[in-house]
Amino acid sequence: MNDATQFEPKILAYVCNWCTYLGADLAGTTRLEYPPNIRIVRLPCTGRIDFNLLVKAFEVGADAVLVSGCHPGDCHYTSGNYHARRRWILFRELLDLLGFDLERIHFTWISAAEGKKFQQVVTDITEKTRKLGPYTELYAAAPALAKDLPQPQSKPFQLQTFATENELRAEARKLLAEGTVKVVIGYGERGPVLVTRPEDADRLVWNNRSTANLAMYLKRKEVKALGRAAVVVKACDERSLMVLEKESQFERKDLHVIGMACDGMEQPRCANCAVRTPRFADTTVGQVPDQTPTPRPGKLDSLMEMSRGERMAFWVQEFDRCVKCYACRQVCSMCYCERCIVDKNQPISIDPAPGTKGNFAWHIARAFHLAGRCIGCGACAQACPVGIDLGLLNMQLARAAKKHFGYQAGVDPSAELLVGAFSQQDKEEFIG
Amino acid sequence: MSELITETKLRQLAGEWISGGRRVVGPVRIKDRVLYRPLQSPEPLLIESTPGGSVRPANSIKEFFFPKLETLYQYRTRGRNIELIEPAQEFAEQLIIAARPCDAAALPILDHVFNWDFADDFYNRRRAATTIVTVACSVADESCFCTSVGLAPDDARGSDAILLTLGSGRYEVQCITAKGRALFSGKTETSEESGKAAPAPERKFDPSRIRAFVDGHFEDALWAEHGRTCMACGVCAFSCPTCHCFDIVDAGAVAGNARVRTWDTCQFPIFTLHASGHNPRALQPARQRQRILHKFSIYPEKFGEILCTGCGNCVRNCPVGLGVLNMLTEIQHGQHL
Repeated sequence: MNDATQFEPKILAYVCNWCTYLGADLAGTTRLEYPPNIRIVRLPCTGRIDFNLLVKAFEVGADAVLVSGCHPGDCHYTSGNYHARRRWILFRELLDLLGFDLERIHFTWISAAEGKKFQQVVTDITEKTRKLGPYTELYAAAPALAKDLPQPQSKPFQLQTFATENELRAEARKLLAEGTVKVVIGYGERGPVLVTRPEDADRLVWNNRSTANLAMYLKRKEVKALGRAAVVVKACDERSLMVLEKESQFERKDLHVIGMACDGMEQPRCANCAVRTPRFADTTVGQVPDQTPTPRPGKLDSLMEMSRGERMAFWVQEFDRCVKCYACRQVCSMCYCERCIVDKNQPISIDPAPGTKGNFAWHIARAFHLAGRCIGCGACAQACPVGIDLGLLNMQLARAAKKHFGYQAGVDPSAELLVGAFSQQDKEEFIG
Repeated sequence: MSELITETKLRQLAGEWISGGRRVVGPVRIKDRVLYRPLQSPEPLLIESTPGGSVRPANSIKEFFFPKLETLYQYRTRGRNIELIEPAQEFAEQLIIAARPCDAAALPILDHVFNWDFADDFYNRRRAATTIVTVACSVADESCFCTSVGLAPDDARGSDAILLTLGSGRYEVQCITAKGRALFSGKTETSEESGKAAPAPERKFDPSRIRAFVDGHFEDALWAEHGRTCMACGVCAFSCPTCHCFDIVDAGAVAGNARVRTWDTCQFPIFTLHASGHNPRALQPARQRQRILHKFSIYPEKFGEILCTGCGNCVRNCPVGLGVLNMLTEIQHGQHL
């Protein structure tokens, strides 16, 4: 008999219909006993398990989560579990940054013949979770734990116009006059401008305020309606064009790219910039040689040095200011879904309210949808009216992509997209 | 004769409220931004704008009356029965200190809409429980346009008390309401000096001219010209002291157990999306037009006041350099009439 005061963990298991669910069934029919602490949710395939479900399990009170499916090679749909494995490798890194307890998230492969393994896994997880105790750390904002990151000193801004501005204007004027393009998406005095007449080409500027990634306009219906476009990009922005093209968001022949060689804009990301002259533009203005930056530890490193509890307290504090204006999404070149998951309300899959839970759900969804896609332009953090360091989430995923897969978004045009592809060699030391 | 308070005394006053367990809100620095936030202690409070720094906080004080998340009620379903639970809301006394006049002035304007066909209890009770102390602006920037909508850097509208700087950390206190007098009673010294605000920003447009234009130009090339670079985020509306549109959604655990009110904005494409899939404001220029129309024509027609205090937040915060001012100055100076 259990002591009445003993903690009984609640464990939620997301399992695939073809292997683990049948494994659980086999455990039952062969009368193998396992703890009753587990609740099973059956899904068609591990490849179909939305990452949000893992977070949601904790939100509704689970103390641990198990995700289990077919062994590699056994997937009923050929490769669902390979896709899932790649996503989990990345998703674990994001959860780690946010301060989730990875000891409470378990991944296993259990086949239909492994009733015994199912029994063992459930028993082990139950015992382990019992030792860990209830998951009270979730979204805990102990003020004593919330630390701030060191902030770089910002220098007073001084507007500086670059020498190639006139060359850019001449190029735009020519493209519009010839009829090569109907609109030039460029930088203007107050912000981005859409120039449609050759005589307006002088509205274009090229200065140290030209920091925006103008690839964001390629998704806008209002811009598509204007006809064939030329877009002004820096070498960093050009990487988003490469990802967008890979994702079939436009055909290269339908876009004219004006590449601006750039010697840096005093943005934090500029310190780590290697390629200074765009490589794939139709017209390149100026020439700046490549550099070899020395990577310096930054805010992300300071954050990862904090304890798990401190990291979560940090994010609770940051997200507390979020008003869900969705500027981070709107200015992102990669966020082009016709209808975003947070705008879907039949049924609601992400809590639309800007409370702790809804804000975590939103920022996790945003960051993870950009895994292996974000090129680090920093537009999200720059647009945030309440100063949330959103780039850190994306940066963590970019680091994970590099660390586990040697992948960098928008660098190698011949590379396969990271998420959406898989390899049988993807590591799985965390999968039981 | 005037009344005077020192910065030290003012911080002491805020400190007393905080240690008394009451909420005190004021501008604080958060990274490279200044925001109105509840204060844990009076030290980080930024009373005045620092030269070269931001002129005013990037958010507005409306969120302390009309919060971004308001639980209207909770519910529990038991079989076929639904049990409604009133939220255990406390509308405790709060003090907003060192607000800008363009924030305080928004509240009397918002009072109309929150008490029009339905008196909004949440808003009204917070209004009644709040004391607002403003500081007359000591600087203005190119995005400021309070004078164009009939206000001024030292306008006391909506304030319970207003402070005017005398330099070296001393302020002249002008108590406007009983709440303001109660707050400063016994805390001030008498003085012969009188404080002053920054020179008023020049008038940039005439609201009646704007209204005449928007009323007569529902279809105009200007809307497309300005509206198509808009990225459809909610920064302008959510940092605006007067924008007040909201949505009502279910939030909470999976079973759903709270009905909450959240901010919404006409800039979001789904704001006007019909269940049929039709969207009467299909593209962004129509949504930008709506924002101007509501502020300078619809609201004045209904309530006799412009729905704008000229704070300039929409201009400063816009990620793509828009905001109402640019469009309004173009209407003012353009060949559009």
